[in-house]
Amino acid sequence: MSDLNNMTAAESAATKAAIMNQVPGSEIEGQSPLHHADFASLAQQGPKTGGIHLREHKLLGHLTLRCNAENAEQLAAVERVLGVALPLQPLSSVESGNYSIRWMSPDEWLILVPGLETFEIETKFRDAMPGHYSLVNSSGGSTVLELSGDNAVTLLQKATSVDLHLNSFPVGKVVSTLFAKSTATIRRIDEQRFELVIRRSFSDYIWLWIQDASLEYGLVIEA
Amino acid sequence: MTQQNRLTSGGRIDRSTPLTFTYNGKQYKGFKGDTLASAMLANGIDVVARSFKYSRPRGIVACGAEEPNAVLQLGATEATQVPNVRATQQELFNGLVSASTNGWPSVDTDVMGMIGKVGGNMMPPGFYYKTFMFPESLWDTYESMIRKAAGIGRAPRERDPDTYDSINQHCDVMIVGAGPAGLAAALTAARGGARVIIADEQNEFGGSLLNGTEKLDGKPASEWVRAVVEELSRYDDVLLLPRSTVNGYHDHNFLTIHERCTDHLADIAPVNQVRQRMHRVRAKWVVLATGAHERPLVYANNDVPGCMVAGAVSTYINRYGVVPGNELVVMTTNDYGYQAALDWADAGRKVVAIVDTREAAVGDRTEAARQRGLNIISGSAVIEVQGTKRVTGVSVAGLSASGTKVIGSVTKLKADTVATSGGWSPVIHLSCHTGSRPVWSDSVVGFLPGATVQKQLTAGGINGQYETAIALQEGFDAGQKALAEVGLAAANVVLPETEAMKVAAPMSLFHIPHLKPTSQAPKQFVDYQTDVTAAGIEIACREGFEAIEHVKRYTAMGFGTDQGKLGNINGMAVAAKALNKSIPETGTTVFRPNYTPIAFGAIIGRNCGALFEPERYTAMHKWHVQQGALFEDVGQWKRPWYFPQAGETMQQTLNRECLAVRNSVGILDASTLGKIDIQGKDAREFLGRVYSNAWAKLAVGKCRYGLMCGEDGMVFDDGVTACLGENHFVMTTTTGGAAHVYEWLEIYHQTEWPELEVYFNTVTDHWSTATITGPNSRKLLAELTDADVTNDDFRYMDWKQITVAGVPARVFRISFTGELSFEINVQANYGMHVWEKLIEAGAKYGLTPYGTETMHILRAEKGFIIAGQDTDGSVHPYDLGMGWCVSNQKPFSYIGKRGMNRSDCTRENRKQLVGLKTKDPKQVIPEGSAAVLDPKGPKPLEIQGHISSSYWSETLGHSIAMGFIKGGLDKMGETVYYPMADGTVIEAEICSPIFFDPKGERQNV
Repeated sequence: MSDLNNMTAAESAATKAAIMNQVPGSEIEGQSPLHHADFASLAQQGPKTGGIHLREHKLLGHLTLRCNAENAEQLAAVERVLGVALPLQPLSSVESGNYSIRWMSPDEWLILVPGLETFEIETKFRDAMPGHYSLVNSSGGSTVLELSGDNAVTLLQKATSVDLHLNSFPVGKVVSTLFAKSTATIRRIDEQRFELVIRRSFSDYIWLWIQDASLEYGLVIEA
Repeated sequence: MTQQNRLTSGGRIDRSTPLTFTYNGKQYKGFKGDTLASAMLANGIDVVARSFKYSRPRGIVACGAEEPNAVLQLGATEATQVPNVRATQQELFNGLVSASTNGWPSVDTDVMGMIGKVGGNMMPPGFYYKTFMFPESLWDTYESMIRKAAGIGRAPRERDPDTYDSINQHCDVMIVGAGPAGLAAALTAARGGARVIIADEQNEFGGSLLNGTEKLDGKPASEWVRAVVEELSRYDDVLLLPRSTVNGYHDHNFLTIHERCTDHLADIAPVNQVRQRMHRVRAKWVVLATGAHERPLVYANNDVPGCMVAGAVSTYINRYGVVPGNELVVMTTNDYGYQAALDWADAGRKVVAIVDTREAAVGDRTEAARQRGLNIISGSAVIEVQGTKRVTGVSVAGLSASGTKVIGSVTKLKADTVATSGGWSPVIHLSCHTGSRPVWSDSVVGFLPGATVQKQLTAGGINGQYETAIALQEGFDAGQKALAEVGLAAANVVLPETEAMKVAAPMSLFHIPHLKPTSQAPKQFVDYQTDVTAAGIEIACREGFEAIEHVKRYTAMGFGTDQGKLGNINGMAVAAKALNKSIPETGTTVFRPNYTPIAFGAIIGRNCGALFEPERYTAMHKWHVQQGALFEDVGQWKRPWYFPQAGETMQQTLNRECLAVRNSVGILDASTLGKIDIQGKDAREFLGRVYSNAWAKLAVGKCRYGLMCGEDGMVFDDGVTACLGENHFVMTTTTGGAAHVYEWLEIYHQTEWPELEVYFNTVTDHWSTATITGPNSRKLLAELTDADVTNDDFRYMDWKQITVAGVPARVFRISFTGELSFEINVQANYGMHVWEKLIEAGAKYGLTPYGTETMHILRAEKGFIIAGQDTDGSVHPYDLGMGWCVSNQKPFSYIGKRGMNRSDCTRENRKQLVGLKTKDPKQVIPEGSAAVLDPKGPKPLEIQGHISSSYWSETLGHSIAMGFIKGGLDKMGETVYYPMADGTVIEAEICSPIFFDPKGERQNV
């Protein structure tokens, strides 16, 4: 399939699923869910020290893959496309170059890739993947926050009832859970560093919440 | 002001840091390290409250959470008012402002005094039940009267300026209480490598070790405490929580802790600091080391200020350097009471007598008193106290051996303080929270924790073990047991050497007899806070209330904010005596969370104000805000409601917005609609099973409207689903129903039809949707795309993948307004770009943004339902006149088919959705109005149905309404009436709900 972006209905029927390059040309700037918060200015003008550091990894490609973890052909195909195997261990993740994969549920993974590679990877999947699966581009629906600092764990303790002790939440672990009154997919990338995948529509709430809960420690915005 | 009761040395206060505080408008001095209560006592403040029923003066009785009287109002400003603060637990800070709560104009000169006394006589036990229940209509009057008289503080009338927090914790061992037992447990568990949390309600750890003069390893006990705390604070996995009350012990070892982070610093927390924090703890094992509360004895006039529990007297002397009086009489049933006299004598003030109810008792403490030459009166009791605002003297008389009768003559002694000890009540509250029933122990003379289903251990005073050596050992044992249970090796801990004290057996005595029968003797208080007397309990028993739970409800014993911590056991003893039963035979006493009152702020945490509920925004939200939109809450979404322009009324705005759509073009942010991506070869089959209509033949590139029903056949959601590819669909749901529908699909897939190959993914947030609608919408779209959007190439109910304003888009030609419409979906990161380009290009057409209200009017003009507004869980598709949206030709059944074919669903005369046109075209029937056939008929009038949607239609120049009428679909043209609350009646004609463009020509152009 060379020209999926301009697929006719018949072609779409042949591929069984409709995919499209959803990213316009570079002349059009994408607005991440926290665009209005203007992290770039906050990073310049805001405090430089504090117990909580916050950064947005915006406009990444978010692909949700649902397939059969026991289907060896599917697993092999994923590895061919991404160059890295799906993490099959519950609540785990893998990272390879610019790609990271989070285990979401027994038949679901979230694959994060550079935004401009999204369509290419989708296309490769459609060519390579056998059997019953679904691959959904959800890039517009979420964003990634990186939360770090001396008080990062404490801040997260306020937001979620998951045990964050290193013994039970080691580096690489992924948990999708409540975050205050919203949700987040939390992944530990270092002892005091976490990535949160949050939903677009809740992102302003979470941003407000983090500001409020950080008051005790000081909040540093990075960009 | 001098602190006349302050010792010149000793105690754990910092005399170099004097503090000023205000009580009832007067300024006093205290020191850092004081509680408000110790500072009040230092200043000789006797009266801290007026009692609730009798308005009697009350003084400080205890030194901790059990204090019933010194419950004060705090706060220097209106916004910082805090009710229900126990002065015994509030640390003093500079500028603290406090006030007594019941006593007007002041507790010292109470004008309620006389009224109160009259009221008291009028308020025997059961007063509420007997008097206020009849006539019921007067309850409101009674209630306000009682509240005014009773109040124990009030909430602030202004917004609390402080922030509150909550935090989740996990640990291997949660230790409640940091006295000797708790500290030994914590030290053991921590050394063994466990994750430990230890919480104590006081400002510093040590518990009883800080209150006395005991030595550990030959040094003051506080030195051992300091060393242990120092060691504990060095472990990464140990969390020390002073000023933290474990207030609730819930199922599965879940505990709630109320930490007062900055209450000890100022009226308002320092900038950016949290005032209070709730810890939500999940513990593998719990060690309760909560200690015991000393029980006062019940004797005549035992509520006169100056009557205290003996241990509190010792604590004020040893910990705070305050002797709360000059001449002390101790009355005790046990050896521990002697300690108060020893400490009092050491402080250099006069011990008038130690009155021991026991005939002969020989223990180390009694001997120490004898050697000091203190006046010990054995086999006797203080049967009555003299004085009103302060004790002036006591009457002492001999007791019979059983303690039930006064024998011998009465001696009067001059004294200003009476310290009593009736033994100790283990603090079993938390154990009770878990549902465990406590067990009476004759040897402890108190209730002990009962059998538990929790992973719970107990140590020290809670077990009735009051000697430090045993408390330490039990704490150590609990720590080792917890280590073993969580799979850790035993820890090496050497406990400190204690001074072994010989203790004589205590006497089981609670209620001191008087010369007169209880009913005629001066009042003998059992529960100070609710003014329950021994006589009152006897009356309750006489009137037939035999179970202690009934006695409590009849007398209000234990119903105060102190939950009867001091009085409950004494009350049970009085009841037992009256009923000639043993204490356990009268029942047990149990406690519920919370152990002490908690500020609402701490419960709500930061979930208030802007964070009370998440607000969900679309990618275009900022634009709406900038345009001055007013918002409507739809689920958690903020949707633009309407876009008023300067000077417009709401109706004017709606009229303008509606006409713009009908005459040219309008734009709606439809991003909030739920969107679910469905993939798999069985996707189509699955759709056919969850929707009532048919999906087998929907071609790629086409959209279809569907109705979703529950098993009962009732409509619960609707929306348009598009076929994107042969195995690929995208379903839209209502905004509020999205999460439920997604769950519904997953549940049915996972539990009923796992054999179907289909996957679901939510893409609600991923796509941003701008709907342009109106006769000029095609022209507008054409300006922003190269694609062919003519009617020939882009039919009604088609979708197309095209580029709009440079952004790849899926455009659905579907319509909720009845006009030519295009719903433009783009990846949400580009939603604002496309929206702004549309606005820019639309200017020449008068493109008008509109909100949910106009959307509702436009769809109602077309008779389109809103699931949740025109459905309420009791209407099936046929009731809605939407039988066209049900297919009974499907090979497999669909959800709701059987339900909607039940006899009740197929009977005649069901309420059916119809249109309603008012006789007076200007009248808009209020939504919810009930329909009747004859408003003048006999009452009650039979309700025929109700109005579900009703609006003014500027397009049509008359009101429109949709509503339910019994058998309505067969009653077209008939008249119904809507009686209003003001007596008027609105007359309306039943009609088709499609008011505008009934042939649907406008959307097909």
